[in-house]
Amino acid sequence: MVPLIAANDLVKAFPASRSLRDMARGHRPVLRAVNGVSLAVAAGRALGIVGESGCGKTTTARLLLRLEEATSGTVLFEGQNVSALHGAALLPFRSRVQLVFQNPFDALNPRFTIRRSLTEPLRNFGLPAAQWEAMIREAMARVRLDPAEAYLDRHPHELSGGQLQRVVLARALVTHPRAIIADEPVSMLDVSVRAGVLNVLRRARDELQLAAIYISHDLALIRYVCEEVAVMYLGRIVESGPTAEVIAGAAHPYTRALVAAVPVPRVDQDRGDLPIIGGLPDQRNQPSGCAFRDRCPLAFARCAEEAPPLRAIAPGRHAACHLA
Amino acid sequence: MDALLDVRDLAVHYRTAAGPVRAVDGASFTVPAAGIVGLVGESGCGKSTLGRALMGVLPRSASIAAGQAVFEGRDLVTLSPAERRKLLWRRLAFVPQTAMNALDPVQRLAAQMQEVLVERGGLSRAAAGARAVELFAMVGLDAGRLRDWPHQFSGGMRQRASIALALALNPALLIADEPVTALDVIVQRQILDVMRDLQSRLGLAMILVTHDVAVVAYACDRVVVMYAGRVVESGPVRAVLEAPLHPYTMGLMNAFPDLERAGGELVPIEGAPPSLLNPPTGCRFAARCPFAVARCEKDPALLEQAPDHHVACWRAAEAPALRPLASEAATWSR
Repeated sequence: MVPLIAANDLVKAFPASRSLRDMARGHRPVLRAVNGVSLAVAAGRALGIVGESGCGKTTTARLLLRLEEATSGTVLFEGQNVSALHGAALLPFRSRVQLVFQNPFDALNPRFTIRRSLTEPLRNFGLPAAQWEAMIREAMARVRLDPAEAYLDRHPHELSGGQLQRVVLARALVTHPRAIIADEPVSMLDVSVRAGVLNVLRRARDELQLAAIYISHDLALIRYVCEEVAVMYLGRIVESGPTAEVIAGAAHPYTRALVAAVPVPRVDQDRGDLPIIGGLPDQRNQPSGCAFRDRCPLAFARCAEEAPPLRAIAPGRHAACHLA
Repeated sequence: MDALLDVRDLAVHYRTAAGPVRAVDGASFTVPAAGIVGLVGESGCGKSTLGRALMGVLPRSASIAAGQAVFEGRDLVTLSPAERRKLLWRRLAFVPQTAMNALDPVQRLAAQMQEVLVERGGLSRAAAGARAVELFAMVGLDAGRLRDWPHQFSGGMRQRASIALALALNPALLIADEPVTALDVIVQRQILDVMRDLQSRLGLAMILVTHDVAVVAYACDRVVVMYAGRVVESGPVRAVLEAPLHPYTMGLMNAFPDLERAGGELVPIEGAPPSLLNPPTGCRFAARCPFAVARCEKDPALLEQAPDHHVACWRAAEAPALRPLASEAATWSR
């Protein structure tokens, strides 16, 4: 299977704040928000990237979208290396890989009608004006905002959160992209309308055979929309594989802690202790060896000496743990 | 059994240029001593307004229009500001929505603790210092961190610190507004574990205002489900979440993603809640309810349908038959 969009060994280092001692010694500490991430998504498939805040999942999305320059590593789209493209050469890529924003309440210009918000990308990417109306209507039908006339001449404040998020999705789809990247696409919405937006996202992916990447902290939600999942911790993928298998039999202790912590709406829950110690460490002072070891209930001597690489543990499954 | 807090027909209105917005429109529920009650509902249902009304921290544009809230024998609605001040911190404490707002960014945590313990609680400085260490230990924070500034704390630690601050003077009831909403799942679990632990060790009663039924399922003993300013269902967590009687509660449970439940589709509730400026007559959920009938044009009262399980729905008696239908997406789509 040829991936539509792929990343090879992406690294993004940001300059970290310097102490006086750093300055005196001429040190320029860096924070590796993304530290060697590789992934691939084929047309018609969806990959979920999960992890806690600060794990680098949003930076990964921004690198894939070329909104951020990678320190090293490459982004491949339809087999072409797009990492070196700039300016006008990047435009075709931009129209083919679209971002679905997190917060529908501020992703749309409040002074624009819905029609104008949907027209902007068509104009920006130089599509012939004669096709605009048809493309807008197609996108509105795709996100189940029917009939389109009922929405197109209204302003964002006249729509509910769920309707706005469908408009945000329609705007992403209007240029006929091949891939969409959605960063927490429903976290700002009420539970009762989340399901509707997720179903629309999933249908659009199936009907258009899009490659989709969902960024979320919520494993339960990823389960509904992604066949594959990658779990990130401190800038690295620590486990990946088919979502159902990863949830049912997590190989990495961090994934096990995430699964144990996912909130579920059932009364009879295993109320055992979480298999994790403390909170996220300061990223600038990561432990030697495995980055997870100081929170890991299973850590042993080798974890301090040797960082476990992400390796195959079963068909389609990878984990970065000495015990996996 | 006497309730610690008994809220009866409480109404809170916001004054707007277009007329009063009935954010809370006749809410009734009770909080037993040492019980954790989840006040659950979606944005705009009035849950936060209700929590703030109980604490007496409503914005200027809002006021309590009717009803009472009897706490330890005294009606919070009619208390004078001086009487209320005596209750705050000592009997009744508040953890606001974002933990950063509960903490003063330009004071070390130790100074903030001192302020409450000395100024409000009348402790000596030495006693206050010891108490602060004790409070930090209670919520799982290292005493050494008392010397830190709020910005040096992670989100979870800030939430722990604001809970410690709220507990300073041993209140009987803690009202927490979305205490874990902005936190990662692992931190969420850790904070909820702290709250459960405090309940069992201190016999503390709590109201957790939340939009998240999973938080209720994990941490609460009782639940009050709100919709469009009204309480639509209330009772013990197990009864309400496992055998909901109101179609809205059924829909909420089916729309929530679950890690284990079989079946690929989430079931959305189509439509949106009504405007509270001119709420519809009759049942407020009727416009979104797949089971609405002619009777729903009249207002259903909140009645005790099963022991200790209250619901405001004309078809509550048919709930066992409606529940399987509510789990199918086709029922809700039109």
